[in-house]
Amino acid sequence: MAEISTIARPYAVAAYKLAKEKKALAKWSEMLSFATAVVNDVNMQAYIQDPKVVSADLEAAFLKVCGDKLNEHGQNLIKVLVEYGRLSILPAITEAFEALKALEEGTLEAQIIASAKPSAAETKDLVKRLEAKFGKKIEATVSVDPEMIGGFKIIVGDTVIDASVKGQLQNLAYSLSA
Amino acid sequence: MQLSTSEISELIKSRLENFSTTAEARTQGTVISVTDGIVRIHGLSNVMAGEMIEFPGNTYGLALNLERDSVGAVVLGDYEHITEGDVCKCTGRILEVPVGPELIGRVVNALGQPIDGKGPVKTKLTDKIEKVAPGVIARKSVSQPVQTGLKSVDSMVPVGRGQRELIIGDRQTGKTAVAVDAIINQKGQNMTCIYVAIGQKASTIANVVRKLEENGAMAYTIVVAASASDSAALQFLAPYSGCTMGEYFRDRGEDALIVYDDLTKQAIAYRQISLLLRRPPGREAYPGDVFYIHSRLLERAARVNEEYVEKFTNGKVKGKTGSLTALPVIETAAGDVSAFVPTNVISITDGQIFLETDLFNAGIRPAINAGISVSRVGGAAQTKVIKKLGGGVRLALAQYRELAAFAQFASDLDEATRKQLDRGRMFTELMKQAQYAPLSVSNMAITLFAANKGYFDDVPTNKVLAVEGKLHGFIASKYKALADAIETSKDLSGDNEKALDAAIQDFKATTAY
Repeated sequence: MAEISTIARPYAVAAYKLAKEKKALAKWSEMLSFATAVVNDVNMQAYIQDPKVVSADLEAAFLKVCGDKLNEHGQNLIKVLVEYGRLSILPAITEAFEALKALEEGTLEAQIIASAKPSAAETKDLVKRLEAKFGKKIEATVSVDPEMIGGFKIIVGDTVIDASVKGQLQNLAYSLSA
Repeated sequence: MQLSTSEISELIKSRLENFSTTAEARTQGTVISVTDGIVRIHGLSNVMAGEMIEFPGNTYGLALNLERDSVGAVVLGDYEHITEGDVCKCTGRILEVPVGPELIGRVVNALGQPIDGKGPVKTKLTDKIEKVAPGVIARKSVSQPVQTGLKSVDSMVPVGRGQRELIIGDRQTGKTAVAVDAIINQKGQNMTCIYVAIGQKASTIANVVRKLEENGAMAYTIVVAASASDSAALQFLAPYSGCTMGEYFRDRGEDALIVYDDLTKQAIAYRQISLLLRRPPGREAYPGDVFYIHSRLLERAARVNEEYVEKFTNGKVKGKTGSLTALPVIETAAGDVSAFVPTNVISITDGQIFLETDLFNAGIRPAINAGISVSRVGGAAQTKVIKKLGGGVRLALAQYRELAAFAQFASDLDEATRKQLDRGRMFTELMKQAQYAPLSVSNMAITLFAANKGYFDDVPTNKVLAVEGKLHGFIASKYKALADAIETSKDLSGDNEKALDAAIQDFKATTAY
């Protein structure tokens, strides 16, 4: 994972810089997510990993599948990836690209996992507090997990704010066994 | 471990009382790979170098490599239950070990947890294992002696409180024996001892602990053990843990002695960790900072001045200096002191006690090579009486070594040369000493005095040690006041010198040998 994201970073940075220059961030985002979906397809996976397929065939096939969804620059990215045998890391490139885009836009993705579905007002309040804490715009996705027992858990990047009953019970178990 | 139910309930009660239920924001990451105790973690973007990382199953790790996309950490203890995908958290703490006088008499592991089956250690304080050594301003020069009780060490390579004296030699040359004898001799010397065993067989460690117990030395000794079966991380950390426990006494105006047995094994453990972390290998495959791991450790052995102690204790302890004396041990291969780790540690320490296989096999034990063993600062700290009387020993042995080549032509040599050879032989014999039999200052003074005055010259070489023993017994029974006077004053006044001379003449006249 770490190795893959290290390899993917220069590609993502290059794509991001080009997209910004051409003022086509949205288009690039769309292209990358589409290409990622193609790469993630089971049949395509098998085709990419097939050692008998030569790179010229792979390139042609991939571009054909994508059709007019990719513009010239997008097609060039695919060509470069095929040439270096890195087509399989495209999902990581997309991830890194989106992270760069979010950084530029000053937004952070937050995952809110609650024991019961919070009301719209509660979510709004939570997002407002998170925005104050992180100093960035928060894009929250809310999911429900009854295993939390009570309370909620928020994941923003690497930071985890665990205010769930489950987490606190776990902490209690640790402190008793230590 | 026997615990009554009420104790357990109390324990739980106090934990429940202190348990905080506030939600805290913690940085977390995911384990990518686990290889021989080295864990790679994705995430943990805010981790500090040397920070403790919490793994599932109440296991902790130490962040050592902070890279762009991953963190390399070493697991402290068992790592078999950690798997790829496990979530781990930052703790925001640097590794700490318990410190305090409660540890005395105990055997603990590198994390300060007891392993001697005597129940929990009830320490009140903990302290960081990696600390910066006291600076120039806080230090005081070494001026008080550490009596090792070994004639050859105290007379030729004296060690002072706050000094770092290396014990170096091949395997099976008595390195540990010298260190353990030094610990045993600290009884009643206001010295707390710490014996750090690194990468040794558990049976060897058990033997050392038993010997310390038999000689009553565990009453003032802490043993920190990271045996050969412990993980490399613990073997690497054990010296720093022991040092932190020793610094507790140093900073409070007391004296402590720490033995690192041995630092070669620590370097090997660190090499293993470094290679698994994929740090570039250098000479002998050691990483580039192998010098630094030893220099930062040994630099913490120091004598600190009164102001430092007063400031540290907030004025509770006034007018007292503190010291931490280090006796690091290095094992050489085939006497090669120019290997990487031995040269490093020789250059860091304030002198070395060099032990040789040839001498050991020739029956000279402790097998100290008087020619290349030195003490760079100990002379200033040597006990007055030993300093006065011990000067001749080095000289006699040096002259003996020079002439030893001619020893086979005994019949053709002139009288003066023959006499010197005889004297050298006598001194060599006299420097031998049994294990676990350290000598008091007065007995050492009596031996050296008698040897300097030539009272051993007419004793057959093979009987020198027996006569020495009889002499000590004779003076202890008949001239006790004199022996006590030397012991308490640590000096030999003119009157006492005359009295001692007369006492030895009395011994020679009345005792058969």
